[in-house]
Amino acid sequence: MKIIAVTACPTGIAHTYMAAEQLEKTAKSLGHQIKVETQGAMGIENELSLKDIREADIALFAVDIEVEKRERFDGKKIVQIPVKEAIKDPAAVFEKLKM
Amino acid sequence: MSTYEHAFRCPLANGLHARPASRLADVATRFKSEITLTNERTEAVGNAKSVLALVAMDVRRGDGCRVRIQGADAQPAHAAMREFLSNVMPVCDEPLPAADAEYEVDLPCSLKKVISTVHVGTPVCAGIGQGPVVIVGGLTLPDELASAPAASIDDERRKVRTAAAAVRAALEGRLAARPSEVEAGILRAHLSIVGDVALHDCIDTNIAEGRRSAAFAIVEAGRAFAAQLTAAGSAYIRERAIDVEDICMQLLEHIGGDVGRVGDIKLVGPSVIAADNLTPRQLLSLDKRLVAGLVLGHVGTTSHTVILARSFNIPTITGLSDVRTRLPAGAEVIVDANIGIVIPQITDPVRRYYERERRKYSLRRERFAQYIDPPATTRDGHRIDVAANVATVEELPGAFELGAAGVGLFRTEMLFMDRDEAPSEEEQFSVYAGAARSAGGRDVIFRTLDIGGDKPLRYLNLPDEANPFLGYRGVRIYPDHHDVISSQLRAIIRASALGKVWMMVPMVCSVDEVRWIKTRVAEIHADLKASAVAFDPHMPIGVMVEVPAVAFIVDQLAAEVDFFSIGTNDLMQHFLAVDRTSDRVASLYTPLHPAFLRLLDKIVADVHRHGRWVGMCGEMTRDPRNLPLLIGLGLDEISTAASEIPALKASIAQLSADCCRRTLANAMNARTIAEVDAVLASIHDHDATRRMIEPGLVMLDAETDGKEDAIKQMIDAFFAAGRTDAPIKLEAAVWAREQVCSTGLGHGFAIPHCKTDAINADTIGLIRFRNGIEWQSIDGRPVNCMILLATRAAQQNGTHMQVFSKLARKLMNEDFRNRLLAAPDRDAILSFLTEELGLSAT
Repeated sequence: MKIIAVTACPTGIAHTYMAAEQLEKTAKSLGHQIKVETQGAMGIENELSLKDIREADIALFAVDIEVEKRERFDGKKIVQIPVKEAIKDPAAVFEKLKM
Repeated sequence: MSTYEHAFRCPLANGLHARPASRLADVATRFKSEITLTNERTEAVGNAKSVLALVAMDVRRGDGCRVRIQGADAQPAHAAMREFLSNVMPVCDEPLPAADAEYEVDLPCSLKKVISTVHVGTPVCAGIGQGPVVIVGGLTLPDELASAPAASIDDERRKVRTAAAAVRAALEGRLAARPSEVEAGILRAHLSIVGDVALHDCIDTNIAEGRRSAAFAIVEAGRAFAAQLTAAGSAYIRERAIDVEDICMQLLEHIGGDVGRVGDIKLVGPSVIAADNLTPRQLLSLDKRLVAGLVLGHVGTTSHTVILARSFNIPTITGLSDVRTRLPAGAEVIVDANIGIVIPQITDPVRRYYERERRKYSLRRERFAQYIDPPATTRDGHRIDVAANVATVEELPGAFELGAAGVGLFRTEMLFMDRDEAPSEEEQFSVYAGAARSAGGRDVIFRTLDIGGDKPLRYLNLPDEANPFLGYRGVRIYPDHHDVISSQLRAIIRASALGKVWMMVPMVCSVDEVRWIKTRVAEIHADLKASAVAFDPHMPIGVMVEVPAVAFIVDQLAAEVDFFSIGTNDLMQHFLAVDRTSDRVASLYTPLHPAFLRLLDKIVADVHRHGRWVGMCGEMTRDPRNLPLLIGLGLDEISTAASEIPALKASIAQLSADCCRRTLANAMNARTIAEVDAVLASIHDHDATRRMIEPGLVMLDAETDGKEDAIKQMIDAFFAAGRTDAPIKLEAAVWAREQVCSTGLGHGFAIPHCKTDAINADTIGLIRFRNGIEWQSIDGRPVNCMILLATRAAQQNGTHMQVFSKLARKLMNEDFRNRLLAAPDRDAILSFLTEELGLSAT
């Protein structure tokens, strides 16, 4: 699967990045392609372009707050989970995406 | 003889308290008849002409009452009472003062866990004190009056009448001066007490039947009424007991004797002093070394007692209503004047908590120890003198121990306050000479008498003004009080023979004021010379810069004086046209206004251009945020509270004068206070040379009670290392995040974090615990390793934020985690993290 994701936690210092790390590691081990945009205290990093979004099979929001520039994802299938879930059990998250 | 009765139900929401009671008593006193009030609920009966008796009856809303009137004029009396009770009293009530309301305080999470009840007040001098409660104040009969035998009954009665008339006149005088509403209310209540029928009856009985002297009779009566009021159910009524005592003290003053004396109180060990009201003189008479803490009821935060407490660094809380009832004498309590609470019961957890607090503060002081002795010097070698502001000679040794280079401001008003006449030249000389000697070669700058405005003196008969701050004060009053000022000048000039004495004059705004002073000084020189009395003919004479006008005539004044000292408090008020006591405009009272900074810059530059010395002694020196601006200005000296000096000198050592000059320039170019704020905030962001982690912030093999305690331990370490100056705020910020969602990320790790300006520089701290802590983690497992991250600003693209996100990602890696758990010692952890996160080594 080609997956795009956004992670965003309230303070934007730690959990945003921990979730991103977990998703990237697990995707790799499961053989998926993934690009993760982090929305944290440093602002938006690894920003997803419209092309990235268009070419992806599915979008994943691992967020506890509003996603910035959400318009980009209009029309895309989105699965949304709390940030904690991505950190705790990323494998289960990918199971969810398959359905 | 006719008898009339009127029944009614008390309609007042707050019951029959002092204000409506005094209105009722006013009506009743107009008539000759006997008028009594009966409270049917309690069956208490009282004289309706006595405010005290009425208040003590504790009439509450809804209580059925009966007024009974008997006498020759009973009919008109009845009509008047009925009219008052039916039509006037129901609408004459006002909301009670907030004395009954407890104010909220936000206790740190870690403290909330260990205590249940606290008493809350306003902290006015930070610190922690512990000891048994010693109650000071209250109605005491001075020895000489107690032992004086009673004269004839008529004589003693006359003394009471005269005293009462004098007190009444004084109260009416103060009322006529149009004080604030709050003070007027108190004065009116006092007026009704001083004329209170029941009080006078009681005093009279004590004289006539008890054969007491007037003084004795008054004290007995005062105590009796105070006891009655103290036993009442509401805090408001209990507080009126203080009013009764206050009036009785005033009566005693007029009969003679030093009523404020607390000479009998000998402290046997460190004690917590509790008093409703404490005069500066009373505080001075106590052995300061044994005053571990001070808890006050009614003393205002800007009062002289508080200023004195601060100068002796006594942990002090004020505004605690009902002090004497709430803090029983002898009970061991803790005064935490960092937060503003008194802890009445010291359990083991509380004891442990405060032992940690004390250790935390002493570790922090140790950090500054190396900066105390050497002169304050910036990183790039720029020197500035750091001196102390004091009000008494006793403070000097302590100030020098804390690294003061000298005394930048010796406030002389304390010598003049709370007395009936000005201090003599000899009395002043002994104080000034004592200070000069104690300073042992260091400079001591005495400020000549600065009164008027908020510091009036009874015996000078200063006029009442609508606008005292802009009125008759400071140097302006000197020509009219020639004798008083000459005594002071003589005393200071004589003291100059014994040390490095300087003299400065307050509220100067023109050259002729300075010339007046110099003429007096010349006269005194001639006189002393003729009497062969020693003095220093070259004693430096200077002026306070408090009036903005001075900024434009520095050239003219520099030709007449040797130095300048900037008094920022008044200078800011006058320059920005802001009353610092007015809540509405409080946000405008700040030195961070670009115009004010330009003013300061101009003053310093002009003074230096004319070859003179310029220091600063106002409160602007207290806030560490302002320090870069003060260094940038190029001041020769800053003078501040002695307790702040070590931290201040330590901060100066971290600054670069060059950077400070640039910071000041940027601040002066800012357009708004907010922009200046941002300039100051950005200094920290650019201080990339500051390490993110250091040895003191890594602790292994620690023991803890739980989550609150663990976080507190880390924050204590941050505080001891100087990473934060606001540990309570930092703790609150960490908890604010923690409460949103637990930071226990599983695998035995937790990563509490926050964004706050309570941290001075982005910081990482790590604690490994011997025992596992319940942390509501993602995987439900306890936490053994806690890493706390604190960053300053919201939007930051600095390298530090990248370090944090890198750390967060690495914690998802099992290898990384295991390395942290297995590292043998602190150095191993430090070098591991430094390498993995690419931290700077310095």
